[in-house]
Amino acid sequence: METLNYKELGLKAGLEVHFQLDTKEKLFCHCLTNLIERKPDFTIKRFLRPVLSEILEKDIVAEFEESKNRYSIYEAYNNETCLVELDECPPYELNEEALEVALQVAKLLNAKVVDEIQVMRKQVLDYSNTSGFQRSSLIAYNGYIEIKHGRVGIASISLEEDAARKMQEGKEHVVYRLDRLGIPLIEIATKADINNPEQAKEVAAYLGMILNSTGKIKNILGSIRQDVNLSIKNGARTEVKGVQELSLIPLVIKSEISRQLNLIKNGKKIQPEVRAANLDGTTRFLRPLPGASRMYVETDVSQILTKDLVKDIRLPKLIYEQVNELKNKYNLSNELSNEIVKQKIDFEYYHNKYKNIKVGILSGMLIMYKDEPNIINTLDLLNSGKITKDVFDEAIHGNLDLSKTKIDIKKIEDELKKIIEEKPELSVNAIMGILMGKYKGKIEGSKLIELIQKHK
Amino acid sequence: MLLKFNIYFLEYKSYLIYSFLLWLMKKNICEAGDYVEISTKDEKFKGCLIPSTNKDIYVLKLDSGYNIGINKNKIKKIIRLKKFSAKKENIGKIVQKKNLRTISILHTGGTLASRVSYETGAVSAKFTAEEILAMFPELKEIANVHSHLVSNMFSEDLRFSHYNLIAKAVQKEVEKGVHGIIITHGTDTMHYTAAALSFILQDLNIPVILVGAQRSSDRGSSDSGLNLLCAANFIVKTNFSGVAICMHESMSDENCLILPGLKTRKLHSSRRDAFKAVNTLPVARVSKQGKVDFISSYEKRSSKKLKLKLINEKLKIGLLKSHPHMYANEIKTYSNFDGLVLEGTGLGHMPINKIDNLTKENEVIYNELSKLSKKIPIVMTTQTLFGLVNMNVYSTGRKLLQAGILGNYTDLLAETAFIKLAWLLSNYNKTEVRGLVNKNLRGEINEKLNKEFLE
Repeated sequence: METLNYKELGLKAGLEVHFQLDTKEKLFCHCLTNLIERKPDFTIKRFLRPVLSEILEKDIVAEFEESKNRYSIYEAYNNETCLVELDECPPYELNEEALEVALQVAKLLNAKVVDEIQVMRKQVLDYSNTSGFQRSSLIAYNGYIEIKHGRVGIASISLEEDAARKMQEGKEHVVYRLDRLGIPLIEIATKADINNPEQAKEVAAYLGMILNSTGKIKNILGSIRQDVNLSIKNGARTEVKGVQELSLIPLVIKSEISRQLNLIKNGKKIQPEVRAANLDGTTRFLRPLPGASRMYVETDVSQILTKDLVKDIRLPKLIYEQVNELKNKYNLSNELSNEIVKQKIDFEYYHNKYKNIKVGILSGMLIMYKDEPNIINTLDLLNSGKITKDVFDEAIHGNLDLSKTKIDIKKIEDELKKIIEEKPELSVNAIMGILMGKYKGKIEGSKLIELIQKHK
Repeated sequence: MLLKFNIYFLEYKSYLIYSFLLWLMKKNICEAGDYVEISTKDEKFKGCLIPSTNKDIYVLKLDSGYNIGINKNKIKKIIRLKKFSAKKENIGKIVQKKNLRTISILHTGGTLASRVSYETGAVSAKFTAEEILAMFPELKEIANVHSHLVSNMFSEDLRFSHYNLIAKAVQKEVEKGVHGIIITHGTDTMHYTAAALSFILQDLNIPVILVGAQRSSDRGSSDSGLNLLCAANFIVKTNFSGVAICMHESMSDENCLILPGLKTRKLHSSRRDAFKAVNTLPVARVSKQGKVDFISSYEKRSSKKLKLKLINEKLKIGLLKSHPHMYANEIKTYSNFDGLVLEGTGLGHMPINKIDNLTKENEVIYNELSKLSKKIPIVMTTQTLFGLVNMNVYSTGRKLLQAGILGNYTDLLAETAFIKLAWLLSNYNKTEVRGLVNKNLRGEINEKLNKEFLE
């Protein structure tokens, strides 16, 4: 790909990034936000038909004609999904935990929070939502971020429900699983202030950092989805959906520019359209760009005044601030500090509790073993000197006979003296090898060297 | 001095501007639907003005489609950029097909068909045949459709007068010779209306099918379409006559059930399959493709001539549910009523026994019930819904029978009993009423209860 002068090309790009929230419950019901890999307990079959507008728009009618004979199978569970996901029951109130995260994000992105939040219905007829619409509300607008490449405006921050999970698609029907439907999503749309591909990547990374600072972002494959919309001089606005990898963003932009340039060169007119990102960074046609948004009010949920809510919003420490703090306070490496923050480990708590364990070792153990059920017991043993770090792994998995750990230093010292007496020709390393083989886990290597050097 | 004057002058000027703007707003120069620009201290918003539920908030539909609320006291200026003008609707003319039968759709409320305005976001109910066919084009292949608006209200607001209005509208259509009638209805009290029409429409010789939607028709997933299409298919494909309800059989959009008008109840507040036959089986099952399978025997079309036996709109009928810790005053409330239906516990019981010092009130309840029962007919039903009233099993029941409480050995739903009592009191004298309550007149009482009714 030749180097392009983006300024000359008049590149204007914006990002739309979706973050799945790791709240306890879904946006409009009390179901948990976990995906379920078990077979569904039951399925139901549904047909959708469009809610027409006053003027019967052609596109929506055409879409309906096309999908008229299609139906959907929804996979549901007795306990993990409820009547709300099945569209058999009106929604509950908007999830407060999710709203709090959205308001935090709004503040972190210097955006203005709307005075009254209105939940909207965005009509979708692809069966990805049982109701035939996606619930979405605009929380804040007109923010900005400052990054290396300069200031980029934030057009909007919305809170919406995730769609159902597509499991299978046939000619006449599509199978969706209801586990993902209703998980809260924050959608951030930047203004078209981005004018080179690397800047786009930086914006996405920075937004990721900000969102992750809330500690409420899901950290699984597909939990962050990026759309890029862009235009160049003499081209047309296109929207590329579903860029899964941050690193792909510049490539997607470059290949879309080349595609448009190619069309321009061949005298073809570029159509405004929605395209999908391929795994190799190229894009494919998805559908024409929709006209006016098909949005109307969700009458089943009451409006929310934000004045008092905004007052109570506490801002989280940003991730890079947290990392710097760890580095400075405990003299930890960049990698360890990053990992501790990423894994949401409360290092201060562990450090105060286990003062005898060196911070480097403590952080390493926490990063490696934080999800082990035995972690606290094993750290207790390490802290009180009953085991050494060399056998931490065996100890945490219960593979260590504790009655045999940690023998008398005196006994080792006696044995050491005996070896030196019998074989004075042995080097420190050789003696070390013999004793370590025998007393691994019972004495620290550094301590042993100290002893050998003392007696040799 | 001069400076001070200048400041005063400026303040005065801004005060003038402010009051002028306030006056403009108060005069309501900008109305819902107008495309406006709203300026606050440091921002400008463009969008369509939407009616707001909060008087302190202006709701604006932004170009993105989102609605946002803006505090009125923040607003400095509103300019109308474009006046609202309702778009012309573009609906085709109906072509009557000779080979198809005619169905009349009578609307009473609830919204079977809705349109949304993407400009204002408002949802409006649609009632003309043209509009309904635009929403449900499949209907064109099933029948020729006429459509009339009888009333338009939440079904919980209906009164006896509305039953008579609907019955008269049905009679008008029957006289025109239509093949069948669909009545669209809010679901909350649909089973009351079905019961009322079952009694009022004597010698009905066509199907009158009540149809509703549990999930509003302003959503793509509404059950209204399938319910309507199944009702239409049932009408044109069978020789059924009588009043029935047509609603979803399950949570899936696969089949609807035709349910008997006098023995059906809403058993869920929101599910599509909320309506169930009680103490009997459904009449028939209709598939999405229009296939009809009868489940029970039914009344067939004949040459009978429809007569209306209307309900006296002035009657006062009570409906009282028995519960622990009752007070006699609850019974006394009905002293100037014309009839009372009791929803007793179990086999048809009320708290009427004085057992100890703590149950003295129960004795007063019994006395009040006995007194009232001499004055007006009181009918016992059971709040268990399924099963029948039998007041001969326990002494409580026998005491109630002695007090003249009616309804023994019946499986009347409380709602059906309520309507039946009103209808009997409207058309028969008091002695006849007491004799007819326990008699099966239109299929409201099932004398043979089977296991499969509650599965």
